[in-house]
Amino acid sequence: MTSKNVHVKIDEMKTNAGLIKNLELSIGKVINDNYTEPMGPTPMPSVTALRDWDMKLLTKYKPFYMPDCDSCCLCTFGKCDLTAGKRGACGLDIGAQSSRIVMIACAIGSACHTAHSRHLVHHLIEKYGRRYPLDVGGLNVKVEAPVSRLVTGIKPETLGDLDDILTYTEEQITQILATAHTGQEANNLDFESKAFHIGMVDHVGMEVGDIAQISTLGYPKADPEAPLVKLGIGSVDRTKPVIMCIGHNVVPSVGIIDYAKDTKVDDKIEVVGLCCTSHDMTRYYTRARIVGPISWELRFIRAGLADVVVLDEQCIRTDVAEEAAKTNTPVIAASEKNCVGFKNRTNDSTDAIVEDLVSGKVKGVLVLDPEKVGEVAVRVAQAVAPIRKRKNVLPTAEEVVAIAKTCTQCKQCQRNCPQDYFIPAAMKAAAAGDLSKLTDLYEVCIGCGRCEQACPQKIAIHSLIVKAGEKSMECEDNLCRSGRGAVSDVEIRNVGSPIVLGEIPGIVAIVGCSNYPKGGKDVYDIAREFASRRYIVVLSGCSAMSAGSYRNSEGKTLYEEFPGGFEAGGVSNVGSCVANSHIAGAAIKVANIFAKRPLRGNYEEIADYIHNRLGAVGLAWGAYSQKAAAIGAGFWRLGVPVVVGPHGSKYRRMLLGRKEDPTNWEVLDARTGETVNVGPTPEHLFNVAETKEECIVQIAKLCMRPNDTWKGRAGKLSHYIDLHKRYLGVMPNDIHLYIRTMADVPITMKDEIGKILEANNWKETIIPDPTLLPRMVRKMK
Amino acid sequence: MSMFKDIPVDVGVIYEGERIRRNDMQVELGGPTVKQKFELAKVKPMNEIEDGKITIIGPDLKDLKEGGAFPFGILIEAAGAKLDAGLEGVLERRIHGYLNYIEGFMHLNQRYDIWIRIGKKSFQKGLNSFEPIGKVIYRLFKSELPIVEKLQVTFITDPAKLDELTPEAIQAYEARDSKARGLKDAEVSEFYGCALCQSFAPSHVCVITPQRYSNCGAISWFDGKASASIDPKGPVFAIPRGEIINEEKGEFSGVNEAAKQRSMGEVTKVWLYTAFDHPHTSCGCFEAITFYIPEVDGLGVVQRNFKGAAVNGLPFSTLADSAAGGRQIDGFHGMSIEYMRSSKFFAADGGWTRIVWVPKEVKEKVKDFIPADVVDKIATEEDAKNVDELKAFLKAKNHPVVARWEAEAAPAAAETAAITVNEEAAGTMMPVATAGSLPIMAGGFKIILKDAKIYANKVIIQTVKDEKKP
Repeated sequence: MTSKNVHVKIDEMKTNAGLIKNLELSIGKVINDNYTEPMGPTPMPSVTALRDWDMKLLTKYKPFYMPDCDSCCLCTFGKCDLTAGKRGACGLDIGAQSSRIVMIACAIGSACHTAHSRHLVHHLIEKYGRRYPLDVGGLNVKVEAPVSRLVTGIKPETLGDLDDILTYTEEQITQILATAHTGQEANNLDFESKAFHIGMVDHVGMEVGDIAQISTLGYPKADPEAPLVKLGIGSVDRTKPVIMCIGHNVVPSVGIIDYAKDTKVDDKIEVVGLCCTSHDMTRYYTRARIVGPISWELRFIRAGLADVVVLDEQCIRTDVAEEAAKTNTPVIAASEKNCVGFKNRTNDSTDAIVEDLVSGKVKGVLVLDPEKVGEVAVRVAQAVAPIRKRKNVLPTAEEVVAIAKTCTQCKQCQRNCPQDYFIPAAMKAAAAGDLSKLTDLYEVCIGCGRCEQACPQKIAIHSLIVKAGEKSMECEDNLCRSGRGAVSDVEIRNVGSPIVLGEIPGIVAIVGCSNYPKGGKDVYDIAREFASRRYIVVLSGCSAMSAGSYRNSEGKTLYEEFPGGFEAGGVSNVGSCVANSHIAGAAIKVANIFAKRPLRGNYEEIADYIHNRLGAVGLAWGAYSQKAAAIGAGFWRLGVPVVVGPHGSKYRRMLLGRKEDPTNWEVLDARTGETVNVGPTPEHLFNVAETKEECIVQIAKLCMRPNDTWKGRAGKLSHYIDLHKRYLGVMPNDIHLYIRTMADVPITMKDEIGKILEANNWKETIIPDPTLLPRMVRKMK
Repeated sequence: MSMFKDIPVDVGVIYEGERIRRNDMQVELGGPTVKQKFELAKVKPMNEIEDGKITIIGPDLKDLKEGGAFPFGILIEAAGAKLDAGLEGVLERRIHGYLNYIEGFMHLNQRYDIWIRIGKKSFQKGLNSFEPIGKVIYRLFKSELPIVEKLQVTFITDPAKLDELTPEAIQAYEARDSKARGLKDAEVSEFYGCALCQSFAPSHVCVITPQRYSNCGAISWFDGKASASIDPKGPVFAIPRGEIINEEKGEFSGVNEAAKQRSMGEVTKVWLYTAFDHPHTSCGCFEAITFYIPEVDGLGVVQRNFKGAAVNGLPFSTLADSAAGGRQIDGFHGMSIEYMRSSKFFAADGGWTRIVWVPKEVKEKVKDFIPADVVDKIATEEDAKNVDELKAFLKAKNHPVVARWEAEAAPAAAETAAITVNEEAAGTMMPVATAGSLPIMAGGFKIILKDAKIYANKVIIQTVKDEKKP
C-alpha cells in the first residue's frame, strides 16, 4: 500500500514513551514495502535495458520482411520509394522502415491499452478511493500482478499503487514514439528491440486495467467456473428495447446497467455488447449479452436490432453515426477518445438530452459522464423502441434479387474484399433467384463494407449479404464463459506434474481479432482440436466469442463441452483485450511458482526460463489491430512464439528461425556451461499460417522446448506427427531434428522413426538445463 | 505406422484421452454393471511363457452381443532375467496406457475395477477380435520395456473361468500391496532419484524410497526401479543407498551424495523422515505441504486443492510459495498424499502424533493409516479455523503435542507475531506501522517533541520479519 502526501498534526499527545506537542509531520510518499523480494537487475527497464536479450532473440529469429507497402510517406521529404534496395530521403531502407512501422503499430496498441487502463484507474479511484485493496483471486492468488512485478518491481496492493505503474508505461510509450520521428533510430534490429520493449510495456498496461476492474466491479476472480453467459443476437429478447454498447471500456456500460437496476427496469430492457465491452459487461452483469465480435457492427445496425448505440473506445467503426442514422438509431458517444463530432452534452440536463435524441432533433450526443450515459441510454431506448419499430435498411428477399440484377459482374467487389470472397458469383446466383451463395458469405464475411465502397453500381452488397443470412443471424444463440480473469496460483501448481510428465503437451492461447480468413468456425475447430488432445486452451476477446459460437454433435458449445480451468483439456476465457495480460502472467507465474525464480524486476531471467521451458504458443487467427501487434510483441519478448492468420502478413515482417542452420539452435547447459544443440525448439517466434490445417500443425510443432522431458517430447511429437499426417497428408520431414534420445520417440512409432533417424545420420544428444544467458550457468558449490 | 500395419485401426498416443459414449459403443467389458472383471500382470519363469502367445478363453469380441456389458479379464504373463515380482504392479499399470492408444478403445481404472468400451466405428473397421488387441499390448511391452523378454496375453470372457480367476486376482493384489507397504528403506540397497521436474525446477531432486513416494505422488519406488532399468540414462536414476548415517532422521550417505551432485552443491544433507533442519527439498508440483505451527509445536498439512486458508491463516498458495522451487526450508515440506500412508511419515518428528491439523478431505483418504489413538485428536477445518481454536481443540482432546507444551517453555509471543503478520496474500490491509516497530519507542528513553516539524520526501516502511526457528 502506497500513500501520497501524508500529513499528521498532533497538538498534544502524552504517552508512556514521551510527550509530543505541536508535531507536524508531512511526508511526500509512504511506501509500505511488504514486498520483501530483493529487487532484480532491471526494475522499470528503460528503452535499452533489455536490448541484449532482444538481440539474442533477434539473432535466433531474424526478421523476414514482407513489406505490405514499399514506400514511406511519414515526412514531407517523401513519399520515398524504398524498392530494390533504395533508401529514402532520410537514409532509411525498407527493412528499417518495415520494422519502424511494426514499432509504431505496437506503440499505438500499447498506448490504447494504457490509456484505457489510465481511464479506468482514474475513474475507479474517484469512485472507490486510492486505498481500495486489489483482489484478483482471493486466497488462490498470491502473485496478483505477475507482469507488473516482473517489469516494474512494484507489487501493487491498492488502486492507488496502480497509478505508479501507469506512470512508467506512459513514459515508455512517449520514449518509443519519439524514436519513430524522422532522423532518429537508424537500425532495423533496434526498431525491433523497441517494438519488443513497447510490447512488454503493453502487457503491464493491460494488467493494470484488468486488475483494477476485477477488484472493484465484482468480476469473476480467477474462477474456472465463471458463469456461462448468453452469446449471439438470437439470445436477445427483441420485444424489449435493446441498448447496444460497442467498444472496450466497460465504464459507460456499468452506468447503464446500474441505472437499469436502480430503476428496476433491468428486466424490461436488453443490454448487449459488441467486442470486448461485451465481455466486461457480462463479467459485471451476467444478464448482459455478448452479441458478437467487432466485425458484426454493420450487420446489427443495418438490421435495425439496436434501439440505442453507445460507443466507448477502440475498434469502433467510424461510420457508425451515419449507419445508425439510416435506421433512426440514436447514438451516444461516451469516451473522450471517440467524440464522433457530436456536441458535448455532458453538462446538460438529462431530460433535455433524452428529448433531443428521442425526437430525432439530434442523431447523437457526446456525454462524458458514465452515470448520465446510463440514464440517457435507458430512457432513450425505452422511448425510442416503440417509435423505431426495428426500422432497418435491409431489402426484402425479392428486392435482393432485383438489386442483384443490376450487378455488372465488374468484380471490383471481390478485388476490394480483404478476404477475396467470390462476391460476383453470389450476386449472379442471387440475380437468378438463388440466395444460398450470399447466405454462405454471411457466415464468413468480416463486415468491413469495402465491397460497397468499390461498387460502381452503388449496390449495398453488405446489406444483401445480411438479408440472405438473416435467418442464421436470428438463430445465433450460444454460450460463452464469462471472462475468468487471472489463472490462479493453485491451477499453475496443479498442471506442474502433468506438464513435466508429458500428459499436457502444451498451452495454446487463442487471442486476437475477428478478421479470420474463413470465419470464426476455424477458431472453434482449432480450439476444439487442441482441447480434445488435452492441451490447455486459453482464449480472450473476439476469439473467445467466435469459439463459443458453434456447437458439437451433441449440441454443446465449446465452453460446455470442456471445463473452464487452466488444465489439461480445459478451455478458458480470460476475458477482454486487457485480460490478455493474464496469459503472459500465467507463463510468468510458472517460472515463479515451479522454480521459485524471483520476479521482481527480473525480466531477462524469467523470459529465458519461459522461452526455453514453457511449451506455450499464441495464435491470433484474426489479427487486424495495432493492439494485437502490441500483444504479440509482448509475447515475443518473453520468447513465446506467436502464429497469425494470413492477414498477419500485413504486419510487414515475420521472425523466423532457420532450422537448416545448426548454430541457430545452440543453448548453454546451465549444469555444465557446455553448448548444446537443442534443435529448432521453438522454430519460429512469429510466423504466418495460411490455412487452418497449416496453423494447427504449426502450433503442435511450436510447443516443443529444449527442456522437454523425454516423456513430454514423445507426447508432443505424437501430436505433431499425427496432425501433420491428418491435415497435410504426409509424415513431417524434420522429425529427426526433434529427437535427442531414443526415449523421445513416441512408443508406437519406434520402427518407423528409427528408419528416418538412420537415413538422416541422427546422433544422440543430451537434454540440457537450457539457457541463453551465460550468467545462469550454475557453479558447483 | 509400420509397427501396427496389420492392426485394423490406428494406434497412437493421441487416442489416450478418447471417450466412447454409450451410443457409440459396440460392447462394454467390465464396468459398473459387471461383477467379474480384473486385469493382472504376473512375472513367471522363462520356461513357463510362450513369447507372443495370445489366448482367448470364452467368446471373442465379434461373438459378443452389440450394446451389451460382459465380464472380462486380462492376464499378462511376463518373463525376463531382470524381472521380479516386485515389478508386477508397474507392468500392470502399463496395460491401461497401451490399450488407450488403440483408436476406438476406452480403458478406465485398474485392477478389479476395469471398465472398457470398444467403439462401433473401430469394430466396423475390423477391430472385432481380441487377437489384434493382444498384438498391440505385446508389441508395446516388448518395444518399450526391454526387460520384458517374453510375454503372453490372455483375454477371458468365459464366466466360469472368470469366477475362478477373479478371486485369485484379488488375492494377488492384496499380497502385492501388503508386500509393498511392508518393504523398508533399510532393506533395499538402491533408492531412486527423479529429476523429471528439474526441467522446470532445476535444483530439485526427488528421492524415492520404498517408504517415501515422489512429492508429486506419481512415482513409487517400484516405478522408479522400472524406469531406471528401462532407461538408465533417463531422468529417473538409481541412487545407491549407501551407509545409514542416521536411522532416526533418515540420513543415508548415498542420498546426500546424490543430492549434492544433482543440486550442484546447493543441498548437501537430506533427512528423509523429518520436516526440520534438513528436510527433503520441495519441487513445484507437490500434492500437499506440511508446515510447522510454532504456537502448538505441531505440524499442519494442507493439500493443493484446499479452498481457503489453512489453520495458520495462510492458504496453500502462500505456504507452497515458501518452500517450492527445489529448496530445503526448515519447517516446510512439500510431499505426496501417499507419503502420509508410510510408517516413516515424519517418523523423526513423532509421525502422526506430531500432526495437529489436516483438512477433512485428506484425513478421510489416509484415515486407515493414522494410529487409532490419535486419529480423533487431529483437527480438521471443521474443528479449528485458527490457531486459538486449534489450541483449544488439541487441549480438549489431549493431543500428544500437548505434553510437549508442558515440557517446553510456552511459545514466545514474538513467534506468534512472526506467523500472523505474514498475511499479505489474504488481501487484507496491513497496518502501516505497529507500535513495536517504531524506533522512537525503543529503549528506556523518554522523548519530548515540542513544536516539531518533520518532512520527508519518501518514507519506506517495511514489515519486520522475524525469522524464528521452530
